[in-house]
Amino acid sequence: MTQPSAPQPSVPQSSAPQPSVTEPSVGQPAGREAGAPAPRAGRRGRGRLAGLAGRAVVLALGVFFALLPFVWMARTAFGPSQSALSLTANPIPESVSFHAFQRAFEEAHLGRALVTGIVVSLAILVLQLLTAIPAAYVFAWVPFRGRAAVFGLVLATLLVPSQVTAIPNYVTISALGFANTRVGLVLPFMTSAASIFLLRQYMTTIPVSVLEAARMDGLGLLRTLRTIVVPLSMPAIATVSVFSFLLSFNEYLWPLLEARSPEIHTPPLALVTMMNSPSMGLPDFAVLSAGALIISLPSLVVFLVAQRRLTAGLTGTGVGG
Amino acid sequence: MRAKMRKRGERGDRGDERAVSAGASERSGRPRYEDGRAASAAPKRTRNIAGVGGWRVGALLFPALLGLTVFVLGPALVSAFTAGTDKTLTGPSFQWVGTANLREAFHDPDFGKSVVNTLLYCVLTVVPAVVVGLALALATQKVVRGRGALRLALFLPVSANLVAIAVVFAYMFDPSPKGLVNTFIGWLGAQPRNWLGDESTSLPVVALVGGWRLTSFVFVVYLAGLTAIPASVYEAADVDGIRGFARLRHVTLPLLAPTTIFLAVFTTILTLQTFETVAVLTDGGPFRSSATIVYYIFEVGFTGSFRIGYASALALLLILGIVLIGIVGSVLGRRARERAARIDETGAGLGADGDPGLALAGVGAGPGIAAEAAR
Repeated sequence: MTQPSAPQPSVPQSSAPQPSVTEPSVGQPAGREAGAPAPRAGRRGRGRLAGLAGRAVVLALGVFFALLPFVWMARTAFGPSQSALSLTANPIPESVSFHAFQRAFEEAHLGRALVTGIVVSLAILVLQLLTAIPAAYVFAWVPFRGRAAVFGLVLATLLVPSQVTAIPNYVTISALGFANTRVGLVLPFMTSAASIFLLRQYMTTIPVSVLEAARMDGLGLLRTLRTIVVPLSMPAIATVSVFSFLLSFNEYLWPLLEARSPEIHTPPLALVTMMNSPSMGLPDFAVLSAGALIISLPSLVVFLVAQRRLTAGLTGTGVGG
Repeated sequence: MRAKMRKRGERGDRGDERAVSAGASERSGRPRYEDGRAASAAPKRTRNIAGVGGWRVGALLFPALLGLTVFVLGPALVSAFTAGTDKTLTGPSFQWVGTANLREAFHDPDFGKSVVNTLLYCVLTVVPAVVVGLALALATQKVVRGRGALRLALFLPVSANLVAIAVVFAYMFDPSPKGLVNTFIGWLGAQPRNWLGDESTSLPVVALVGGWRLTSFVFVVYLAGLTAIPASVYEAADVDGIRGFARLRHVTLPLLAPTTIFLAVFTTILTLQTFETVAVLTDGGPFRSSATIVYYIFEVGFTGSFRIGYASALALLLILGIVLIGIVGSVLGRRARERAARIDETGAGLGADGDPGLALAGVGAGPGIAAEAAR
């Protein structure tokens, strides 16, 4: 079910009368026994049919527009060269090739950018986990006077738009001598209040008895964290990791300010640079699409792989009631 | 601040530890400790079950607080100070100018234009996104076969790289008559347009890109909200003969109201900070017709004469606006949760766990926080 190649999922016409998750047939009056087409013929039948048709239309349109940019991106990337003068709206490419991908890699130095993007995002992720897990543990289980105030302060940092901190951060990073370096791309994101918050919410669900037992067994702080808290919080850690990676990999404003030299451009920056200064003449949309597709892939892969776990992790953070 | 915290931690370590353990064991039905000090008055969270205290509390918190202080809180305060100066990024010296920057902002036609643009952008994205996202979430509910693939398709825009997608939209809206959108409207008999190069359409097209992604986000959050409605509520409604559209109007929507309010507030705050799409698609043009507040702040602070003093003042105004919307949303959200709790007579506890201010806390974070804060 995590295969991306299902652009036309079955629209609900056939399946809608079946019982749904939120509406189990258990306990429903006999007249609404789901599945059988017979009850639909009744007075309420026409209304239900109209509702079904409405749903089908909404879903078909929704899926169409959700996928259109992706489909168009792929169609253009695999098709022949296209400039503003030779645009086409023909959904079937005249010829299919990987040529545009090759050129995107060469012209936008996408290979280099991808390495930078992945390394920077992973470094941010590791730092965030190292800083957030201990802090989340304290906010969940270690009381001290003023904890509520400190936690409130942590949450308040979520209010500050990144554009506001960008200016002083640029000054700080420059003063530390990290301007225009990969370290400078990582440091400002070394911790995340959002990660602390999510992890803390999840950690509060660890049973008291487990922590008590750990304590009676004489487990030290670090061992408790390593052998009890972290393994038990794995779903939340996975969720936080995925969001962290996606956010850092797609970050645009900070690299735009910080990474002045093309050698340390992140993927989005490399793509925009290529768009604004094509190597010759007009931008080639095939190459741009190939580039867009390439830089979208890491996020999509992470998202697809993590999709199921993500929902599980979210449920654990208190969403599941 | 740190020193104080540590001291308090130490005290807690010595003083409260045993009492706290006693409280915990009381809860789990085990015998109390000998000193028998009553800890029952203390709520669960204040019991030091972990038995961690002293310098170790500080050590655990230090890395996170250091990062947040140096890179978020500090900069925010610095920014607030810089807002009162005429500092530039390039000039070495600067002077305190008091409220001059703020006064300038109120008379700056370019800032005024960016505020109008941003509000227009908000309306053009938030309203359709919430309506369509809700419709999609409701429509997927009863789908059984292909539900996974369906959700995946509708999730995809959220996971998209905004810059990459903006690039794709840029040539879908190419001014050439052979561009995708121009070809389509050609079928309908309309003349091709220079979408991004026309003052009247540049902002709506940028909003379309933002709205496309926002709709998917709204869908995800509504989906979480819908799954949280207990089946028993629907069963009760069914027994009472409330079905179909009536059920949607009198049961589902009121129960989703807290989610809706959260989404309205959160997506408004999110769209107030629109930057990437504008930077990639239009550079704010033509004739400033698509320049948003944040794009203007970027222009003032990082291009031209690099006036970061003035840029900080503009950013300060933006934060004030965001906080204001957040407070209003927080109040509305609490009311909606109370109403939802009354509708949910089955006592499943829906909407009971509303933490005021959490909606605020979701700013800038991924859908996960959003879903969490939506509760």
